[in-house]
Amino acid sequence: MKVVVVKPERCVGCLQCRFACSVAHSISGSPYAAPYEAVLSKPRIHIGLTKDKDAFPNKCRHCDPAPCEMACLPKAIFREPSSGMVLINPDRCINCGMCAMACPFGVVRYHVYSSNKTAAHKCDQCIARQKEGRVPACVEVCKVGALLFDDYNKVMDRATDEISSLVYLGIRSKEQEKGPYQSLTAYKHRLEELRRKQA
Amino acid sequence: MSEYEKLSICKDAQLTLRKAREDGVETVWDRFKKQEPQCGYCELGVSCRICVMGPCRIDPFGEGPQYGVCGADADIIVARNLARMIAAGAASHSDHGRDLVEVLHKIGEGAAPGYTIRDADKLKRVAAEYGIDTAGLGNEGIAKLLAEAMMEDYGMKKEQITLINRAPKQRIELWKKLKVIPRGIDRETSETMHRTHMGVDNEYVSILLHAVRNSLSDGYGGSMIGTELSDIIFGTPKPGFSEVNLGVLKEDYVNILVHGHSPVVSEMIGVAVDDKEMIELSKSRGAKGINLAGLCCTGNEIMMRKKIPMAGNHLMTELTMVTGVVESMIVDYQCIMPSLGQVAQCYHTKMYTTSDKAKFPFMEHVEFTPVNAREQAFRIVKESVENFSRRNKDKVYVPTAPVRNMTGFSVEAIVGALGGSLTPLIDAIKAGKIKGAVGVVGCNNPKIKQDSGHVELIKRLIANDILVLTTGCVNVAAGKAGLQVPEAKEMAGPGLKEVCGLLNIPPSLHLGSCVDNSRIIVIACALANAIGVDIDKLPLAGAAPEWYSEKAATIAFYAMASGIFTVLGVMPPIMGSKKVAELATSGLNDVFGACFAVEPDPVKAAQLITNHIMEKRKGLGLDV
Repeated sequence: MKVVVVKPERCVGCLQCRFACSVAHSISGSPYAAPYEAVLSKPRIHIGLTKDKDAFPNKCRHCDPAPCEMACLPKAIFREPSSGMVLINPDRCINCGMCAMACPFGVVRYHVYSSNKTAAHKCDQCIARQKEGRVPACVEVCKVGALLFDDYNKVMDRATDEISSLVYLGIRSKEQEKGPYQSLTAYKHRLEELRRKQA
Repeated sequence: MSEYEKLSICKDAQLTLRKAREDGVETVWDRFKKQEPQCGYCELGVSCRICVMGPCRIDPFGEGPQYGVCGADADIIVARNLARMIAAGAASHSDHGRDLVEVLHKIGEGAAPGYTIRDADKLKRVAAEYGIDTAGLGNEGIAKLLAEAMMEDYGMKKEQITLINRAPKQRIELWKKLKVIPRGIDRETSETMHRTHMGVDNEYVSILLHAVRNSLSDGYGGSMIGTELSDIIFGTPKPGFSEVNLGVLKEDYVNILVHGHSPVVSEMIGVAVDDKEMIELSKSRGAKGINLAGLCCTGNEIMMRKKIPMAGNHLMTELTMVTGVVESMIVDYQCIMPSLGQVAQCYHTKMYTTSDKAKFPFMEHVEFTPVNAREQAFRIVKESVENFSRRNKDKVYVPTAPVRNMTGFSVEAIVGALGGSLTPLIDAIKAGKIKGAVGVVGCNNPKIKQDSGHVELIKRLIANDILVLTTGCVNVAAGKAGLQVPEAKEMAGPGLKEVCGLLNIPPSLHLGSCVDNSRIIVIACALANAIGVDIDKLPLAGAAPEWYSEKAATIAFYAMASGIFTVLGVMPPIMGSKKVAELATSGLNDVFGACFAVEPDPVKAAQLITNHIMEKRKGLGLDV
């Protein structure tokens, strides 16, 4: 089963994934029209920040077993059998907050849906786009490779190969030796250090 | 439908795109695909890179930040970004105009060998508009004084730029009331940059009103000066025939392409390729002669005046080299893709830059000034001829035969064709034979299937008896589709067909390059003055179906501010502010008597424009 794999070390914090997520889940599906809809579509992916200001794209992991599903008394949260995705039926949701408390990743929010009902709200792995043979919107829009859509085992196989070469080269991480973004991260770390010192 | 047919309606583009793929050449379409999906914040105009407290963006879905670090909301950010876009467009046209003022000044000083005054009557007419007493002065003397007066238009000595007086008095009164009369060409651009610096103008209407003033400093300033001086120095265009599409490149000739915008360079290359010695040299190298062709707006300039054929418009520029028969491409500035030098590496094409303000990777710099232009032009043409023997015969592929295109419709030429005044045109409009006129202008953009927006719109407009005026990249699109020959009258409605038949002109007239949009403005002003109404009352409209550049945004703004309803085929980055979007698409109507519409579908755009023209006809009490 394909999932969205997050490579946090590659995230530059552009927030494109949040934008694309909102558009993909809007009624119009258009970036020009979506901000004009009566109920604004809210993003289902969140960018967390470490104390060093490193960004982490955080979204529903579609756990199995899913703690949110187990905690949901009205059975609004369910596993869609064909795709294996954990989905929400907003009509059954009673806004009790149990799923949010149970979620180990903190990715559940409560928002108004286009039906005007407020309910639990989270990533559906773009199940509608997947049916059209398209990858999730957040993955498509990510230009730095921080979000991938792939089978976890395949990703890990690739990671194993990568790690093998790196071990032989004696380098801990490829990301550390290349790219202008690395120097920006280093700069941000220094800035944060300075801020802590001054405080 | 092949994958190439999805990208362009042009046969020559489709066939060379296939070859580009085989030759391993990356094109603008490949790069566009890699950029998709493009940044949503930037598409909406709600990202701001003006200062380094940022970069900032506003979340249009309301969950994230609603203010930049400085406190600017979506309205301020969108208005500032749009104003800067317009300033960049105005700066480009106006700097181009400035180069012609410099050449005119050097002619006046006798220091521009190879350049001369080709239209002395127009020199005197324009000098009179500047209040210059020409009595007892020769052409050089007038040239120097006119150039100096125009330099003042660029500065801060005047209260208003001179050629703004061409507008109808009602329009000038309106502009005065709104405080949008441009005072100096450079001043307005400079002030836009000042106003949009952090902490200056933060009221979106105020920012946008200044953007209007900045656009007018281009339309009635830099661009208009560019057009008028090009006519004075290189001759006012007269109607005649030329050819378009990649078929204008000839397999057995040395092919030289000029690309960019300034006739200062291309005109001189034109002189060098006609030189007997150069032609003899080409024959000694096994070619039948030298073939010069144009690209983009400098191509429009020499097509209008010298009937030099055009190889293509914006999205064709990379593909010209894929034919394998281009010995050299000489560029000046604007709209020259930085990828061109890279493409040339795959073939034998030599690339030359000519302006100290426009240098590119993989190109050789041969700087042109009014003083050395002749000498440099001969040097480049000689090297190009010598490059003929390096051509790889296995890579040669000229895909199509060229198509005829009528060109040369300057305002003077149109008035001439009408028998000396605009009255016959006004009579035809009053009688309903011609319902109105539309300027179809602008660029190509890989977001829209190449030339499909232009061609479909023009076909529908002329079928509705609406006369079309084209400039820039639209000329090539319309020309390739066979819309700019007198026989195209068969595609026009009965009234327009009759008028075209009487005058032996096409229903879609080529008016020139993108600075020559000022010609459309001059016609609009003259029509309004002749009828005695403001421009916004006339059955006119503008359209930029495939625009991409900042210059096009500026043109759209000065057209709108002149009272001309304008339909854009590509969404400008303004939708992130509901207030700015509302202002652009309807609010402006109450202020300038014209506004914008965005419609990528040319069929619907034609309907919008036709409806608008019929409304305006009703307003004037004319039959619809």
